Amino acid sequence: MGCQMLHSVVLAELNPLRPVIAAPLFQFSVGGYEIVFSNHMLMVTVAAVILLVIIPLGARKKRLMPKGLQNLIESVCVFLREEVARPILGDNTDQFIFFVWTIFFFILTLNLLGMVPTESAYYLITGRENHFGGAAATNIWITGALASMTFILTHAAGIKRYGLLKYLSHLAPKVPLPILPLIYVLEIVSALVRPFALAIRLFANILAGHIILATFIGLILIFKSWFVVVPSIGAVIAMSFLELLVAFIQAYIFTLLSTLFISLALESEHG
Amino acid sequence: MTELAGSMLAEVSGNSLAILGASLGCGMAIIGASIGIGFIGGKSTEAIARQPQIGGRIVTAMIISAALIEGVTLFALVIGFLAIFWTKG
Repeated sequence: MGCQMLHSVVLAELNPLRPVIAAPLFQFSVGGYEIVFSNHMLMVTVAAVILLVIIPLGARKKRLMPKGLQNLIESVCVFLREEVARPILGDNTDQFIFFVWTIFFFILTLNLLGMVPTESAYYLITGRENHFGGAAATNIWITGALASMTFILTHAAGIKRYGLLKYLSHLAPKVPLPILPLIYVLEIVSALVRPFALAIRLFANILAGHIILATFIGLILIFKSWFVVVPSIGAVIAMSFLELLVAFIQAYIFTLLSTLFISLALESEHG
Repeated sequence: MTELAGSMLAEVSGNSLAILGASLGCGMAIIGASIGIGFIGGKSTEAIARQPQIGGRIVTAMIISAALIEGVTLFALVIGFLAIFWTKG
């Protein structure tokens, strides 16, 4: 009877990498291209819908003393504007604060949705194998898209303010002429590497966290003994707390570094 | 259980040297990151002990530095993944 109980409800698996890779849900073809809709794209859609519904709900009335949801969203927004954007961007804060808010709330929602065990809940309720949830930030394409948005915004802002040639000449500080080409190449390489670093940092942090969670739960299946259950579940609970902290920290770091790169593109050389 | 372990090993034993290299590389990267973040933790605790009233700002700076160092460490993890799973073919 114990073996039957173990086989009827199994929420762990031996392969810790299966929960973090994108699983195709359905396919549709658009104009000759086959687009595979994966669960990560579903999570991005769900995050967008949640943000598009909840944030306008918190901004309906202008109150002198906000309460409830408005207070929550406003306190996060004010923190981002006064502690993150204004010390770094200065006078350009109001121009770029929308991007800062959007990136922070979007990455935070993606990470927090990744901690919600929708697959296990669906499997417990309906008993069908599915792959509906998942952390979208474990997909390098999604984090790469966010990082490339930062990349495009920084250089477009710099080019719009200074013009293309003057912006390109701003990239290198004033150094003697013999080493100017070397410094210039270094600056170009650093400007190209920064979005990769942004993308990989978010991707690898969330991926590592979810693989650790899946591995700890999978230990129960590997050992197949009741004695492993309590330490394993305890370790998973502790790691889940750490993962929630990492979700907030990674969203904050992404936002902070994006703001820093925007300010680097906008600073005047002789300022 | 042994046949499951055997089948798991059979999938990946084609590039056993890559797995060894990736594991050792990740271990060394973790050593570097632990030393760095431990250093940050110690110095920031020292700074808070000297001047407790700016403790909040010091903790913020510590968290940011730790996250940046961890980002670099996870580059090594990603390269390890590439080494294990990106075989010829």
